[in-house]
Amino acid sequence: MQKVAGKFDVIVIGAGVAGAAVIRELSKYNLSAAILEKEPDVCFGATKGTHGIVHCGFPVDDAPIKNRTEMKGCLMMEQACADLDVPYQKAGKLLVAFNEEELRALQKALVSLKRNGVPGVELVTDKDRLRVMEPNISDQVIAALHTANTAVVSPWGLVFGLIENAVANGAKLYIDAKVQSITANNESGFLLQTSAGSFAAGYIVNAAGLFAGKVAGLIKDNSFVVSGTRQQRIVMDKKIEGIVRHVVRDLRATGAHGDFVSPTVYGDILLGAKVENVPEVGDLRTTREGLDGWILPRCRRLIPSLPPQMSIKPFSGYIPKAGADYLIKPSPVNSRFINIVLGGSGFSASLAVGEYVVNEILPSVGLQLQKKPGFNPIRKDIPHIHDLTDEERAELIGKDPLYGHIVCRCETVSEGEIVEAIRRGARTRDGVKFRTRSGMGRCQGGFCGPRVLRILSRELGIPVEQVTRKGEGSTEVLYRTKELLKEAKGGSK
Amino acid sequence: MSGIIERSVDVAVIGGGPGGLGAAIKAREAGAKNVVLLERSEELGGMLPQCIHNGFGLHYFKEELSGPAYIHRLVKELAKTDVDVMTQTMAIKLEGTRITALTEKTLTRINAKAVILGMGCRERSRGNIRIPGHRPAGVFTAGTAQRLINVEGYIPGKKVVILGSGDIGMIMARRLTLEGAEVVCLVELLPFIGGLIRNEVQCLRDFNIPVYTSHTVSDVIGKNRVEKVVISQIDKELKPIPGTEKEFEADTLLLSVGLIPENELSTMTGVKLEPTGGPQVDDLWQTSVSGIFAGGNVVHVHDLADYVTESSEMAAVNAVKYINGYLPVERKVNVKGGKNIRYVVPNTIVSNQPVSFFMRVTWPLKNATVRIGGLVSKKYAFVRPSEQIRIDVPAEMMKGFREDIIVNCDGEEDVAR
Repeated sequence: MQKVAGKFDVIVIGAGVAGAAVIRELSKYNLSAAILEKEPDVCFGATKGTHGIVHCGFPVDDAPIKNRTEMKGCLMMEQACADLDVPYQKAGKLLVAFNEEELRALQKALVSLKRNGVPGVELVTDKDRLRVMEPNISDQVIAALHTANTAVVSPWGLVFGLIENAVANGAKLYIDAKVQSITANNESGFLLQTSAGSFAAGYIVNAAGLFAGKVAGLIKDNSFVVSGTRQQRIVMDKKIEGIVRHVVRDLRATGAHGDFVSPTVYGDILLGAKVENVPEVGDLRTTREGLDGWILPRCRRLIPSLPPQMSIKPFSGYIPKAGADYLIKPSPVNSRFINIVLGGSGFSASLAVGEYVVNEILPSVGLQLQKKPGFNPIRKDIPHIHDLTDEERAELIGKDPLYGHIVCRCETVSEGEIVEAIRRGARTRDGVKFRTRSGMGRCQGGFCGPRVLRILSRELGIPVEQVTRKGEGSTEVLYRTKELLKEAKGGSK
Repeated sequence: MSGIIERSVDVAVIGGGPGGLGAAIKAREAGAKNVVLLERSEELGGMLPQCIHNGFGLHYFKEELSGPAYIHRLVKELAKTDVDVMTQTMAIKLEGTRITALTEKTLTRINAKAVILGMGCRERSRGNIRIPGHRPAGVFTAGTAQRLINVEGYIPGKKVVILGSGDIGMIMARRLTLEGAEVVCLVELLPFIGGLIRNEVQCLRDFNIPVYTSHTVSDVIGKNRVEKVVISQIDKELKPIPGTEKEFEADTLLLSVGLIPENELSTMTGVKLEPTGGPQVDDLWQTSVSGIFAGGNVVHVHDLADYVTESSEMAAVNAVKYINGYLPVERKVNVKGGKNIRYVVPNTIVSNQPVSFFMRVTWPLKNATVRIGGLVSKKYAFVRPSEQIRIDVPAEMMKGFREDIIVNCDGEEDVAR
C-alpha cells in the first residue's frame, strides 16, 4: 500500500504548457490543486520542442476551439509574460508572396483575418517598404502579410513561470509522478496510483500531451487517439542576430508551422521546419534530408544571406493532436475527467485554454469557483547576469559572489544562476539548461558541461556518475577512471 | 554592497593558456609596469593541464614534456613576476582596449594601454556539422571528454566511436583504450588523417584502432543514451552514400571535427577576422584595431603549443613597444594565400624585421615547393593539411618585398595518402 501523498480538489496530469496554464489558473481560486509530471522536471515533453512563436490566430474552418483560443491566447500572452518575468518580444510576422498567385492568397487571408477581428494586420505591397521592414529578405518577394501581434516567447520560460507562480499561490507540483492507475469513485472523484505515491482528486485534468490517450485509457476512455507531426528545426548562432526582425514565413508551406526564419527572445535565429508524419508517435530524430535538404535551402530562399555554418543545434519537436480541432472536453466516460489535447499553435493558445478549462469547463461539470483574495500574479525569474547592467551585476555579485563566477562562457551564465535553478527544481543538465541557458550557446556545453555536472552533483548530493541529461537512462558519464581496468582484471564488477 | 572597480594597467592579457602565460611574462620582462592576466577557468594553463600526453616543449624548452609539465614551467616563471593573475575571471566586454570582467568579488573595468588576445579556440560541436539522429547523452567533443577523464576523473563510456581524425581525437582514442574502454572505430570525412603523422602512428596504428576514411557518421541512435552509431561512405560532395551504412553498437560518440578560434570578444571591438575565424594580424601581431595584439590559437590553430607561446611572446614585446610609442611600422605589404594555400599568417607586413610565415595547404602533395612571393622558396617531400608549414625569412630578405606577397604551393599529387 502506498501512502496517500495528497488529496486535492483538482489534479492536473502533465506539466507541459497546457497543464501549466491550467494549474496557474486554478491557483487563482480557493481550492486545492496539484500538478503531476512523470518526468524529473516540468516542460520535458512536447512543449520543450516548440518554436515559441505566438501566432495571432489564423482562422480555419474546421477548428472552432482552436480559432477561439489561439487568438485570445495571443492577446493574453504579453501581460502574462510581464507578470511572470518571461522573455517576450512582439516581433510581428511577415507571411510572404513570391508571385501573383501567392499575393492573391495573401489578399484572401487578409479578408479572413479582418473578418475574425484579428488586430494589427496589413498587406505590404510596397517592395521598398518591405525591405525597410526586413532588409535581408529575398528580392524575389513581392508582398507580405504583416501581423503585428505575432510574438516570440521562451516556451520553457513560460512553463517555469506559470508553474512557479501557481506553486507560490498554493498549488503543489509532484515530479517523477507517473500515473499508473486511476480508480473512479462517482461520489468523491478519483484515486490515482503514481510512482510518487497515491493521490485523491475530485476532478482530473488530463493534459498529458503525447500520452493523453494512455492516461485516458486508465479510466477506459478510448474516445480519441493521439497522433501528431514531427517538426525538424535548426537553431542558429546569435552572431547573426538581426538577420531577421520579424518571423518571416513562406506561404507555400501548409498549416501554421511551415518554413520560417524567426528571431528568438535570446538572440538566436530559429529555422524551420521540416514537417512530417512519422511512423513512431513522438519520434524526435532529425534527418540529413530534413536539415540540409529541406530547412536550409528553403530558409535561404526567404533570407538568401543566411549562413549555414552558423548552425549550432538542429532538433525536432513533436506536436501532438487528436483531430482537426483541439480536444478540450469532459471525458464521455466520466465528466469529472477533462481531456486536453491541443495541436498546431497550442503554445499560442495555452493561456486561453487554461482559462477556458478552469472558468468554463470545470464549473460546467460541478466545480465551485471562489476567487482567492491573496492571489499574487507576479513571479520573478532567476536573475540572469547576461541581461543585467554593469551596476546591477556588481550589486548582485556583492550579495552573492557565485553570480560573479561565469560557468557557461557562450551565454554568460554564472554559478549563482545554476545553483538557483537547482533550488527551483532542476535535477538534470537539461533542467539547468532550460532555466539558465547554460550549454545552449555556440559550443553546446563543451566548456560548461563538466562544470555543470560537478555543480549538480554537489548541490543534489549525488555522485557525478548519477547525474543525467534528462532523466533515467541518460547518464552523462558512465564510469570513474580506472574502473574499467579493475573490471577487466577482476572479470566482473 | 560592492561597487564597480575601475583600474588602469599597461598590458592586459586575456587568456591564461600557453600563449597568455608567455605573453604576460614577456610583457613584464619587456618593461610594461602593470600587467594583468585574466583567465576564465579555475586554473591556469588553458587546455594543457588536460593534455597529459607528451610531445610538448621540444621547440621552446628543448626537451619533451607533458602538457601539465609545460604549463608548470611557465606558471613558475610567472610566479617570479608581479603580474596580477586573475583566475575565474571572465572578460565579457571589450571596447577599444577597455575590458569589462566579472569575478567573484565584483565587476571590474580594466583600462589597458594595450590588450593581448589569448583566448585560444573552441571545438566544433555536433550542431555545427548537423549530425542527424536522436539527441541522447553520450555525444562529446574530444576535448570535453579529455577534460572529463584527465582532470575530473570520469570516463564517458566504454564503447566509443570517434568522428574526426584531429589530434585530440586520435589522442583520445589511445587514452580511452589505455583506460580499458573499447574504441570501436575512428571515422574521417576526408580521404586522409587530419592530425599529425606521429599521432596517427602512436595513437591509432599502435593500438590497432579501425579507421574508416572517406566516411562520416550518418545517424545516432538512442533516445536517452547513445546506443548505436551509424557510419556511411561519402561521395565527392561529402554526402553519405545510401546503402553503405555500417551500424556499430556504442555508448559514446566523440567528435574531433575542428577547432574554431574564439573571437567573440575581438569582434566586439571591431577587430577584423579572416575566413579562418582568426583576426587579421600584421607581422608585429597587431590586429586591425590599434593597441590590440593577438597570439596563439586565437589567431590560427597551431600544431605545437611551443609556437603558441612564441607568437604570443612576440605579440607582447610589440605591445610594449606600442605603449612606449616606437612600434616599428614602416610600410604595408599584404600577404595572400595562392595555389593550394588554405591560409597564411601574418596577413600584412609592416616592419623590416624577420618574419615567421605560418601556413597550411589545402590538399596533400609530394615533392612540393612553397614559394613566398618571388624571393623565398622551400622544398618539401610531402605537404599535408595537417602539418603546419613554418618558413622563417630573415630581415634582409624581407626588405626585398615591396608589393603584395602571394604564397603558392606546387607539387605532385600524392596518391599514396
